Amino acid sequence: MSDGGEAEGRRDEHNDSNMRFGADEYSRAIARVAMAQICEGIGFEGFNESALDSLADIAIRYVCELGKTSRLYANLAGRMSCNIFDIVQGLEDMGTPQGFTGASEVHSDCVVSSGAIREIKEYLETADEVPFGQPVPHFPVISEQRMIPSFLQMGETPAFKCVPPWLPAFPDPHTYLQTPVWNERQSDARTDKIELARQHRKAERSLLSLQQRLICNGSSVATTSDEPYNEENGLEVNNNGNLIFENPLDAGKIVMSKISIPPKLSSQAHAEKKVSLLETFAPAIEAMKDGLESGSDGENTIPEKKAPVFLELKGGKKLFGEPLDLRIRNKAVGRAALWFGHNGENDDKKRRVEFILRQSLENQQELPQ
Amino acid sequence: MNGQTSHQQPKDGRHDDDAALTEFLASLMDYTPTIPDELVEHYLAKSGFQCPDARLTRLVAVATQKFIADVATDALQQCKARPAVIKDKRDKQQKYGVNVKHQEYFADTPSAGLDPASRDE
Repeated sequence: MSDGGEAEGRRDEHNDSNMRFGADEYSRAIARVAMAQICEGIGFEGFNESALDSLADIAIRYVCELGKTSRLYANLAGRMSCNIFDIVQGLEDMGTPQGFTGASEVHSDCVVSSGAIREIKEYLETADEVPFGQPVPHFPVISEQRMIPSFLQMGETPAFKCVPPWLPAFPDPHTYLQTPVWNERQSDARTDKIELARQHRKAERSLLSLQQRLICNGSSVATTSDEPYNEENGLEVNNNGNLIFENPLDAGKIVMSKISIPPKLSSQAHAEKKVSLLETFAPAIEAMKDGLESGSDGENTIPEKKAPVFLELKGGKKLFGEPLDLRIRNKAVGRAALWFGHNGENDDKKRRVEFILRQSLENQQELPQ
Repeated sequence: MNGQTSHQQPKDGRHDDDAALTEFLASLMDYTPTIPDELVEHYLAKSGFQCPDARLTRLVAVATQKFIADVATDALQQCKARPAVIKDKRDKQQKYGVNVKHQEYFADTPSAGLDPASRDE
């Protein structure tokens, strides 16, 4: 149906300014749609919005009035619930100003012969059946109430004897008192440092044991002669956890032994997993090589070229695999390294730059081949 | 009731009445009114009307629908019977470039019709 309304602009603005819908809005909207459908059935083609609202209002008022009158008659008869006679009486009351046929007749026994019912009967027979367009859910929907749990449900006993336990519990003291937010303890700088160092050692120890396990697994599958390295690792691991800070060269040895494994294991599917793990250590190898450049052993059996990777390390500190979610440990170790001073930072950078240049030169030589 | 002269009649009458009533209510249930039952139930509950019988709800719905249909039918007749003066006037205004908003209706006071019906109760 077309909308011919123009005078409603003001009303719409008023509605838009406060867009909160009352509880009424839903039922009113349904009433409007129902009215529009009725009018369409009668033969209307267009409707003003204001007229539609008024008609819906009239219909709602009619229903409310009918309900009120029926209830009145039921209460008058000493009943709480209404029946058809109450409704008929209400209908006749509401039709009184216009009059209905048979009003002058004394109420005979049959209520069906009353004027109001007769009119409704006629309407039923003549009118077309136009059901409401959409299914309407039952409303208003009653939401579940969340009850405050009782003392019994909470497992508490009330503080006062006069309060029975089946009543809702009292609110917690933190809701009305100022309680401390966390446990305040004294912070001692020295003990904190010692604790931090201990945690670092523990982290590095576990990292070393992981590498040792990787090497062991790799060596057991490939039957390589890596036992001396393992023994060394075992020795070093058992001796002290300060491996990182005191023996960077030894740490480098461990990494070198791991590098020698991949070519032997590449053919085996089981070792591919290890290879990928070892590849993740590849970035760390760069850092190792920087430290090893100065004191090179004869064990530089690095076959492939490595992509240059810059680790964010502070000077004087060597690390193992970062991608293994050891960033936290890295940070911790970084902090620990700071205590030992920023000794070789610039030297490290220089060495790295030189190494990269050398690598690129070697690559250029390799490419034409 | 006129007491003793018609002893027999009330009983038979009541049976007939009951039959007629039942028949009427059954015919009610066949017809699906345009006004949905949930809406009617909501507003009846708001007015204090208590009845678990769905047929009575239908009766109220049909009565309301009949009432509105009567109003609308009269309005349609009025609309058709009214001369087409206002429509011509609007066309002529547009021809001459005059755009005047035609007032739909006139109210008694500025606050007339603003409050919804249910707020009165």
